[in-house]
Amino acid sequence: MLKSLNDIWIILSCEVRRVFGDRMVLLIFFLAPLLYPLIFCGIYYNENVENMSIAVIDEAKCDESKRFIHKLNATPELDIAYQCSNMTEAENLMKNHQVHAIFYFPKDFSSRLASTRTAHIGVFCDMSSFYFYKAALTGGNSVLIDEMHTIELERYEKSGLTDVEASIQLQPVVFESVTAFNPCGGYGSFFLPILLVLVIHQTLFLGICILNGDANENRYSLKLIPAHLRRKSVHRVIIGRALCYILIYTPIVTLDLWFIPRWFHLPQLGNLYTILGFALPFILAVIFFGMTVGGLVVRQKISPMLCFVFFSLVMFFLTGMVWPQESIPRFWYHFSLIFPSTPAVQGFVKIGSMGANLELVRTEYMTLWFQTGIYFITACCVIYFHNFQRKLKLLALKKIKSAILQ
Amino acid sequence: MVHHPRYLIILTLGIAITFLVFASITHEGQPRRLSVAVVDMDGTYLSRRICHELNATSGVEVRAVFNNHTEARRAMQRGEIFAYYEIPNGTYNQLLQFNAPHFVLYINSAYMLAGTLSYKQLATMGMLAGAAVQREVYRKKGYGEEQIMGLIQPIEYDTRTIGNPWINYGNYLMTTLIPAVIAFIALMHLAYIIARERQERTLRDWLKSAGGNTIIALLGKMLPYTVWYTLLLLICNLIMFGFMGFPHEGSWLLTVLNSMLLIFAAQCAGCFIACCIPDPPLTMGVSAIYSAMSFSLSGFSFPVESMPHFFYSFSWLYPIRHYFLNYSNIAIYGNGMAQCWPQFCALITFAVLPFLGSLILNWQLKKESLPLNPSSPH
Repeated sequence: MLKSLNDIWIILSCEVRRVFGDRMVLLIFFLAPLLYPLIFCGIYYNENVENMSIAVIDEAKCDESKRFIHKLNATPELDIAYQCSNMTEAENLMKNHQVHAIFYFPKDFSSRLASTRTAHIGVFCDMSSFYFYKAALTGGNSVLIDEMHTIELERYEKSGLTDVEASIQLQPVVFESVTAFNPCGGYGSFFLPILLVLVIHQTLFLGICILNGDANENRYSLKLIPAHLRRKSVHRVIIGRALCYILIYTPIVTLDLWFIPRWFHLPQLGNLYTILGFALPFILAVIFFGMTVGGLVVRQKISPMLCFVFFSLVMFFLTGMVWPQESIPRFWYHFSLIFPSTPAVQGFVKIGSMGANLELVRTEYMTLWFQTGIYFITACCVIYFHNFQRKLKLLALKKIKSAILQ
Repeated sequence: MVHHPRYLIILTLGIAITFLVFASITHEGQPRRLSVAVVDMDGTYLSRRICHELNATSGVEVRAVFNNHTEARRAMQRGEIFAYYEIPNGTYNQLLQFNAPHFVLYINSAYMLAGTLSYKQLATMGMLAGAAVQREVYRKKGYGEEQIMGLIQPIEYDTRTIGNPWINYGNYLMTTLIPAVIAFIALMHLAYIIARERQERTLRDWLKSAGGNTIIALLGKMLPYTVWYTLLLLICNLIMFGFMGFPHEGSWLLTVLNSMLLIFAAQCAGCFIACCIPDPPLTMGVSAIYSAMSFSLSGFSFPVESMPHFFYSFSWLYPIRHYFLNYSNIAIYGNGMAQCWPQFCALITFAVLPFLGSLILNWQLKKESLPLNPSSPH
């Protein structure tokens, strides 16, 4: 027992020396998890589109259309940058990206309102970004609902109904909506919690792959078991190395998933112990996943950056936060379970943004432990077979040598 | 000459997988049958009717009916449902007595798309339910159908979504993300190739093979990959705008030019980074940091105009930002060269970077500042 602990300690201290001796890995482990969240928190500091430029064409020129236009301008989302006299003028503004939506009040707007027929307003949205569409709809709908209430109340009052009667006629059913877990519906509050988990996943995974590539380039292998350990001690090598990464990543997880959401006022309902408890299988799964992939395919120090970084986008999309998991085709859903990031993002967002405890994220938690188990076995296999192969090669060399000597 | 074809094959496969993931996931345009629930404290005919009507729409599906708020909240926290209606006790009686019952709709907006879409469906349902009650009252008062509609809904929006008439998320995401991924890979690949020459200490041999002319050496390295990645991007664009039917109003020639210039400009940026930074691993690190921001700074997901001013200005340093603006010019608005030229000029300006890079590389060689073995063993 003491011997195995001593072995693990030796491996751990070797690994710490290797990590702190490699500039590239140091940057990836310590700078990237700090830099990326800061940059992206800066990019998405303004959570929503405000004062989006729109053009208005008022052919109706009546009191109602003027009131409507004033209200549109008063919304936080929209800003009437141009009042155009015809559609061609507004169309040209849109084509030149000067406005992102056009509100068109036709000539019959007031006559239709006067004759209690539905009046139409044409809305033309720039769909190059869905946020333009969202801003036009959010701003436009809030004015529409308000204006409809005003018009309806005026009509009821004219017909002699009291305020109470009129409001019942107006709203036979009252709807109230509560936006939970991201109250302002901001893009940053949605995107950043996912990004923070992906940054931890990718930096740890890349760091391990780079260490493998570096070892391979410099003709010594992390896959080899140190001479004083027997071949049966594969698990000690893996546990020793994993402990080193856990020690490094515990403060990084605390920083990225606990402090940064607080500093930038992102939704944060989870408590630190739940976050750390959930992070343990996540970090372990990523470590063993990194050791497996790094041991199997990485031969150079700089190639992991080339081959794995762009895949973050696919991993981001497969987490199920952007596109609901139940709507993802089964094949891609099972494919997404290869990556520890899929259950981890789901779990951390549920803990952090939605205030779930470990019991509520049991599925994700168990999936991560399952991945940890599988990747631990695969990492052991990679090391074991590498040594087995090496032993065979040495035997073959010995045979050739003895044959030559004979 | 294409060095290390293994990586070219891996990266091409990576592009194909990325395309397949996005195309197959978003092929329906919008996620359908999103899970929602109803908290039925009333337990009457009304709540059952609401469930039936919600299930009749293609957008949402009632997965569960809960008896209390806590159960529904926990289901939401587990991610099983994206929204739920709470129907309080006595709702049906209040409705019959015209007492304006309260419905509360809870939306999980941590899932942005699913939350927004389920909100849209449930809110429409709610409005329709209210309108149905109003319509019955007006009918009994003897109003005509057109007048009833005018009374219930005095004003209506007639919305036209330009460039994406079906509000198809595949169209929105893929038309910019796929070019962004290919440009990202083109940049990283070129940076890798130059960094590899430094790492293997073959930089001088490589430059010698180009007759000592650094710019010819750099362009010679670049062009085979420019052709290959442009070809891949054109194939992707052909599939998207041709076979998948995404709207493309303008000239195909301009799209081809836009694609070519995007790849070329991205490679120029990669070339510049690789020439400036003598340490190969650091080259890859800086390239990755620069490129990783390109998805956000293209401005297609969240408009750059709404970002802090520093990042808005910074976005002009990204070829994908110019590509995105021209994509919207060409494919969405059908604009011609008259509107596209500023972005084309901006993309062509990136061609200065290899020249600057070659100057820096020459200076480094002269000073013999190249490290002998940048990745020394530790």
